[in-house]
Amino acid sequence: MQDKSKKITLKHSYLTAILVCAVTALAATPLRHFLDLANIVMLFLLVVFLIALKLGRGPAVMSAFLAVALFDFFFVPPRLSFAVNDVQYLVTFTVMLAVGLATAHLAATLHMQAEDALERERNTHRLYELARDLAGTATQEQVAQVLVLYMSGSAHSATLHLLDVDGELPSLGHQVALASLAYMAIKQGSLIDTSQLSVVGGHTLILPLKSPSEVRGVMVVETNASSIKASNNIDKKQFEAVANLTAIAIERLHYVEVAQQTQLEASAERLRSSVLSALSHDLRTPLTGLVGMADVLALAAEPQLENVYNAATSIRDQARAMNNLLDNLLDMARLHAGKVELRKDWQLFEDVIGSSIKLLKSALSQHPVKVVLAPDLPLVEFDDVLLERVLCNLLENAAKYSAVGAPIEVRGFVEGEFACVAVSDHGQGLPVDQIESLFTMFSRGKSESSTIGVGLGLAICRAIVEAHGGKIKASNCEGGGACVTFWLPLGNPPCVDSEQ
Amino acid sequence: MTPANTVILIEDEPQIRRFVKEALETEGWKVFEAENGKRGLVEAGSRKPDLLVVDLGLPDMDGVEVVRDFRTWSTVPILILSARTEERDKILALDAGADDYLTKPFGIGELLARVRAVTRRRLQGLETSPKQCFADVEVDLSRHSVMRNGVPVHLTPTEYRLLGSLLANSGKIMSHRRLMQEVWGPNHTESSHYLRIYMSHLRQKLEIDPAQPIHLLTETGVGYRFEP
Repeated sequence: MQDKSKKITLKHSYLTAILVCAVTALAATPLRHFLDLANIVMLFLLVVFLIALKLGRGPAVMSAFLAVALFDFFFVPPRLSFAVNDVQYLVTFTVMLAVGLATAHLAATLHMQAEDALERERNTHRLYELARDLAGTATQEQVAQVLVLYMSGSAHSATLHLLDVDGELPSLGHQVALASLAYMAIKQGSLIDTSQLSVVGGHTLILPLKSPSEVRGVMVVETNASSIKASNNIDKKQFEAVANLTAIAIERLHYVEVAQQTQLEASAERLRSSVLSALSHDLRTPLTGLVGMADVLALAAEPQLENVYNAATSIRDQARAMNNLLDNLLDMARLHAGKVELRKDWQLFEDVIGSSIKLLKSALSQHPVKVVLAPDLPLVEFDDVLLERVLCNLLENAAKYSAVGAPIEVRGFVEGEFACVAVSDHGQGLPVDQIESLFTMFSRGKSESSTIGVGLGLAICRAIVEAHGGKIKASNCEGGGACVTFWLPLGNPPCVDSEQ
Repeated sequence: MTPANTVILIEDEPQIRRFVKEALETEGWKVFEAENGKRGLVEAGSRKPDLLVVDLGLPDMDGVEVVRDFRTWSTVPILILSARTEERDKILALDAGADDYLTKPFGIGELLARVRAVTRRRLQGLETSPKQCFADVEVDLSRHSVMRNGVPVHLTPTEYRLLGSLLANSGKIMSHRRLMQEVWGPNHTESSHYLRIYMSHLRQKLEIDPAQPIHLLTETGVGYRFEP
């Protein structure tokens, strides 16, 4: 429709040009007695110039020829004939035609440049409007709507296809050829024009949505089949600009989402840790009172009241055992949330082994503990408080599941790329079919056994060791008894200069 | 202990306050109680105590703040009561000037042992004897000599400084930071693995079973302690 109206206006401008030239010839006829023929030439040149300026190149060229013809016919003697008396006039005609054509060309070029500038200004303005509209969007749907609005006046239509978390384009799932081109565009980071690909054909531009940090998807621009004309560079640049603006808008939406998610996680984490520490405080305070007051009672008991003394110390020991369970439960809750902050340092196994044995002095009072550390044990990077927890749990288990007086062994050694610690006892050993499940929560060798504990100890050990990038395994010793070994990666310990 | 030494007990839980008070009174202490930090600091200002026992989790202010405030005008020993999960706070309190801590729950025996350790110097006067003995080891600080079963033990200068620092604060906990500062100087408080290595050397030379030390003890996550 647009082209049709263009044709009509083009026809009109040719007619107008002919009319104007004719009117000029008519108007100049009465003046020929007062003016030199040279000045009449000037009049025609002026008209050609004006036509070029107003109506464009085609009508101007035509009027340049027409002007020469009219001048010859009406003014050059003999009048009302194309014949020429004086050969000199041929020079006049040539110059007149040359000046007319040159004028037509210059004026028309100027005209085109002005129109170009106008067009460019319009495009810039539309881009500005697009940028403004995109800045106000809050969802990806709104971005798509703004794009549709932008394209609505033109022969193009644009669709967005965004990469999901796996780097796939789910919205192009059914269009295999287009999807593979889209992946190619994303990989190359530059646009693909299907009209230049003989294999695919059609007229589609695929533009990667490049944001400052990464490519977030593609914009596919399709042009109406009825109005296909070779899309020039200006169009492509325009679409690249649109793709850039869209990419920035999508990037902004992405980061808004990330920020919201982070905030949500942080507040959930805060809630969890405040619940845990409130729980820890509220349960530990009465236990502290219980331990302390049982102690006061035990100290105050008269020597002859042996049963009072025994009851008091028993209350104290049970309260301490309950405190250990509480420690395990809280640790497990923290470790299970997966947000444990390891405070790693380069240190020696010797320190934590020694302190664990000392912490469990009363539980280990019936069991001699033998510690054998390889002399070449290097510094190992670990969180000492958590590793102490692992060792305490292992030693406690060893004491719990072996007969009074049976020795417990702790060995430290290097095996391949790992520093290892093995805790072994001389008890009845582990049930072979349950060795793996021992490390899952709430699992115990014998269910409903009379030994206290809820089966959290080994699960915590595994969570801590794995948080350090290590592994833990249980087995039965050859001579009877259970053995639990954990491996921590050696890494690159800092060197320490020795002094003499 | 006459006249009675006074202790200010700053603890918000009445049950804990009660048994700590009873236990301290059996040792002849005169106990003044405070249920929050502000009140505790007022009491400390007016009673001229010989010891401060502070809970880290107080309702009105951080126990570390109480320690810091009190340390600006007094050198009286401070004993911290804290839960196991507060390693970082313990270190902060020790660096702020506290002398030792007790982890909840604790027994009367541990409480009294700690109290004795932190008040020993203040109440019994500075022991000026240059000779210190533990197990089969005899250290003579005036002659820079260390003997084990009468046989001289060779210590490197760093090992000797470390041992000296621990002996000078016998019974008290020394944070990693503080030990590093005393042995290597104020610019070497970060690389604590040096400290761990030298501590291990000392144990090899002075402990009967270095893996199960009796005198050179590890306080996991916090520091070391020499127990005579």
